[in-house]
Amino acid sequence: MTDWTEKYRPSSLSELRGNDSAVDDVREWARTWDDHGEAAVLHGSPGIGKTSAAHALAADMGWETVELNASDQRTADDIERYAGRAADNATLGGSAGADDSGGRQLVIVDEADNIHGNYDRGGTRAVTELVKRARQPVVLIANDYYEMSRGLRNATREIEFRDVSKRSIIPVLRDLCRKEGIEFESEALERIAEQNDGDLRGAVNDLQAVAGERDSLALEDVVTSDRDTTVDLFPFLDLVLKEAENPEEALQASYDTEETPDDLTAWIAENVPKVYDGAELARAYDHLADADRWLGVVRATQDYSYWRYAGDNLAAGVAGARDGTKGGWTRYNRPDFYHSSSKTATHVVRQIARHEGTSMATARREILPFLASITRLCKPRELTVQMAAAYDLDTDHVSFVTGSGETTNKVASIVEDAQERRAELVEEHAAGAFATPTGDAANGAASDDGGDAGGAAGAVSGGDSGEGDSEDDEADDGTMSLDALGTGSPNGSGRDATEGSAERTDGDEGDIGTDGDDTTGSGGDTGIDGDDTAGSGGDTDGDDTDADGDDDQSGLSDFV
Amino acid sequence: MFTAIVSASTLRDALDSVSVLVDECKIRLNEDELVIRAVDPANVGMVDLTLEAAAFESYEADGGVIGVNLGRLEDIASMADSGDLIDLRLDEETRKLHIQIDGLSYTLALIDPDSIREEPDIPELDLPAEIVPEGAQIDRGITAADMVSDYIRLRVDEDEETFVIEAEGDTDDVDFVLEREDLIDLSAGPADSLFSLDYLKDMNKAIPNDAEVRVELGDDFPVKMHYDFAEGLGHVTFMLAPRIQSN
Repeated sequence: MTDWTEKYRPSSLSELRGNDSAVDDVREWARTWDDHGEAAVLHGSPGIGKTSAAHALAADMGWETVELNASDQRTADDIERYAGRAADNATLGGSAGADDSGGRQLVIVDEADNIHGNYDRGGTRAVTELVKRARQPVVLIANDYYEMSRGLRNATREIEFRDVSKRSIIPVLRDLCRKEGIEFESEALERIAEQNDGDLRGAVNDLQAVAGERDSLALEDVVTSDRDTTVDLFPFLDLVLKEAENPEEALQASYDTEETPDDLTAWIAENVPKVYDGAELARAYDHLADADRWLGVVRATQDYSYWRYAGDNLAAGVAGARDGTKGGWTRYNRPDFYHSSSKTATHVVRQIARHEGTSMATARREILPFLASITRLCKPRELTVQMAAAYDLDTDHVSFVTGSGETTNKVASIVEDAQERRAELVEEHAAGAFATPTGDAANGAASDDGGDAGGAAGAVSGGDSGEGDSEDDEADDGTMSLDALGTGSPNGSGRDATEGSAERTDGDEGDIGTDGDDTTGSGGDTGIDGDDTAGSGGDTDGDDTDADGDDDQSGLSDFV
Repeated sequence: MFTAIVSASTLRDALDSVSVLVDECKIRLNEDELVIRAVDPANVGMVDLTLEAAAFESYEADGGVIGVNLGRLEDIASMADSGDLIDLRLDEETRKLHIQIDGLSYTLALIDPDSIREEPDIPELDLPAEIVPEGAQIDRGITAADMVSDYIRLRVDEDEETFVIEAEGDTDDVDFVLEREDLIDLSAGPADSLFSLDYLKDMNKAIPNDAEVRVELGDDFPVKMHYDFAEGLGHVTFMLAPRIQSN
């Protein structure tokens, strides 16, 4: 399934919704670029069309594009090598007269407000120099204009993109529904637009998530698929930090949230200093520290029954640390779940960003959390394998995302299977470079792997009864999501082979998991997860394939 | 299916000419030749390499394409002395490339070819001037130009019938004039273009000093440089887009 934000990405500035005056400015900037030679900064919130505008502009002008993504490393040298070289020289195709671009190309620097830190050493300076000397039009994309250095701001023309109003979002959603042949209730679209205040991309993604597989869309569909965890979370914070009369009330409430103690601890730790003061704050932190210690125990032992002690501390402990109740309204901040200081986290985020063609920030905020909950503790297994294969993750990366212990056989076998999956892709796209005369050898290998995986799963479930149940769920989820996703084998004759071996793996696990029935409750839960997974997993993959396709296309066709 | 035995120097020469532009590439394993085409990430430089089957000690392939990390492959190749033979074999089962050098064996994981940037189609270009210097002469011009500037001007003086390599720095200038008799061949035409030394320096590294380099040049057009290696059985074409003239 193709990501609608890609499928319907505007191919011309005239198709861009909202931000009419900014779009006019962009067009005017490009039209007169020969005279002023300035670089432009497009800045504004995420999801409102800045990058789309840059690409649409290039298409309108008949320019090729070179994009320096945030996921690419951005040291001064890298910037020089990619963007710098592009900015000095004509393009091959254009200068050879293959088109009438005259060899011009648009250099797009994504997340220009975010060029600093370890990976971007010297990057800010290099971009500033690039902007000043470029002989090609340069567009910088930024969320926060004032995060950019003053030098950079002074050297560029500012074009501000504003949030897309609900009024502008609704017609876009309506159009999409018509193009996709989906009947809809207007209230449903309004609701989606409301939920994604200002963020057009988010609205389109949500629409696809709720309507992608249907032919009609009613208000209830939207309401039920509301992201209720975030709605539940804020009342919970209010209760713990302000309203609960006694610790027990807070504790009871913590049972009703859908967030894990890890996440709740992070949320409370992030927001408690906004409400608490002095001694009560110190007491609250003591309890949070205890909660964190229990989370560490959970992580080390993989025994999730210890979660309850973390829960006691973060809810009852923190509520009990308060002197009386509090009132007023507090703007709660989202905690930074994945510290950029962690090497593993950064690596994972970069792999995701690279593969999906998104920025690091998007990968961290909008993709990684979903991946983490989809593949929590490596169930469903098949999806975890697909993830590890897609992003080429090692054991420590997989255990980071899934929260599983690093050394478990489960993770190791997942990584093994993922490597196998990658190898299969190498073969599929090799146009027959690996064609074996017999074909028996390949089958043999596939069934071997299935056996290994099953064996590993068996070992885990034998060793730990809690895990045993989850292994059963996997088998179901694996099968379902495989059908739903159908990724991993875009084309070519290798497809059958891939599916064959995947099924084999599932089959083995199914055999191992004998007590499939007593897990109906949790199986149901996971089933829902599985659905989400299929949706977003499908998006991601579609996104990627498409993005690559587009990039390659434009480069190539301009060359002919 | 692919198995080949090739001398280390031939393999290194081939890889060098590609790795100056890209980090990863696709290798086409045609029945009678090995072909690599790649364009650099900035859309400015391109390489087109063919290594005939006869350039190998032995060569067997029946089509297909593999993706490789050039840096790693070069690292492995650097383990061989130039006289050594390198044994390459695709393992159908593990889908890796097995490389053997005098008792040393290395298994190279391959890259999904579809994840590598598509090779470009070569624009058909009919460039008016053709100059054939030796690699050493190009090297001399580029080395000298690099002392004063980061770009270089290549032009043909039609009246004098000379090939001129020029570089203008902030304070210092370099001129390198090659007369017809200095060159292997020259067919004059209107030709005058600027190029980034960044690229030319890298390409120059790959061009053997004793190679005949056929340079095709135009007026503010890309330059093409063709040369052979591996005793005439390997062929490389570099193509480089011009630098944009400042106003």
